Amino acid sequence: MQQHTDEERWDRRKTRETFARFARAKKRPGDPEYERLRSELVVAHLNLVRYLAVKFANRGESLDDLIQVGTVGLLKAIDRFDLDRGVEFTTYATPTIVGEIKRYFRDKGWAVKVPRRLQELNLAVNRTIEKLSVKLGRSPTVGELAQTLNASEEDILEAQELGQAYNLLSLDTELSGEGDKKSQTLQDYIGTTDADLALLEDKANLERAFEVLTGRERVILYLRFYESVSQTEIAKRLNVSQMHVSRLQQKALEKLRHVLQE
Amino acid sequence: MNQPVENLTHTLGTVELRIPCKAEWVAVARLAAAAVANRLNFSIEDIEDVKLAVAEACTNCIQHAGGQQIQIVCETEPDALTVHVRDFGRGTRPEAIASRDDEPRLGVFLIRSLMDSVEYDAHPEGGTTLVMTKKVSG
Repeated sequence: MQQHTDEERWDRRKTRETFARFARAKKRPGDPEYERLRSELVVAHLNLVRYLAVKFANRGESLDDLIQVGTVGLLKAIDRFDLDRGVEFTTYATPTIVGEIKRYFRDKGWAVKVPRRLQELNLAVNRTIEKLSVKLGRSPTVGELAQTLNASEEDILEAQELGQAYNLLSLDTELSGEGDKKSQTLQDYIGTTDADLALLEDKANLERAFEVLTGRERVILYLRFYESVSQTEIAKRLNVSQMHVSRLQQKALEKLRHVLQE
Repeated sequence: MNQPVENLTHTLGTVELRIPCKAEWVAVARLAAAAVANRLNFSIEDIEDVKLAVAEACTNCIQHAGGQQIQIVCETEPDALTVHVRDFGRGTRPEAIASRDDEPRLGVFLIRSLMDSVEYDAHPEGGTTLVMTKKVSG
């Protein structure tokens, strides 16, 4: 509490004076005054960091973490601030602190998790509407949904409105725009089951199953399902009746089903 | 994953909203702005920034301007969203707010660090409009 009132007494004049002394101390290597003034400036502006961190606290990261990364931003701002530019320190520091906080979210892959969370919430909302409707004998309110799902009412509404629609970033979006460092893209963060891999497995099974078919059955299935040729057309090519093609196809499919089920 | 150009006609338009000048109503403005921003090709992060900026602008109206209502106008362009937040009270221009604490000015700094441009229009009949624009990044 004491510290709080001390901070409030930090007015713009005192900030400027301290920065002037800080700039002079910087030019004297090894001067203990430098570190002392630096910490003094940090402590004096922790309220600013806290104020800004709170604004981002509803994005799913802990306030303590945000204050910590915000303080890193504050330190950067203190070290780079130049009194001669004539802007006030808070004007200068705010974008630096906000930038640091936003970079933290980006580094955590936050922009990928949010739509997923909203989509999951969207599904949960729909399930809960059904459950609560049965239980209450009427359509539930947003407040009741929020309570049941342990979310805020705004979250519920947003999940309903945007849960399906939120634009996902391109997978090639660079996540950190830090100058020369090679940026990571969203792609680097994403791991999924590879659908092609499962398909490959199916394909191997199918190939084995195909071995039980006669040559003619294989040709029919190939033309019918890979080349999408009509039964009539196949009949013409094989010089048999369409009925016969139909029967052979039926038989071949049954054989395959049998083998694949084993 | 950019939206095809032919879809842009669905995303261009203006949405106007008036809410009571009370904190409980800010969420309505946030949600409306988010829904409009989502029609442009904004990323999640940008949508969150728009929501935060709109909330800050409304909060400034509530805390410093007073008046009965706040008007929020969201205008979409192919590559940007502009939000006008108008109070019908004493206005929210930082220099007009006689206050010892930094809060209102901080709100504007925060908005400035979230949006690409921020301007004020003072109305002769009272109140100010804060006009803020965010470009679709990419």
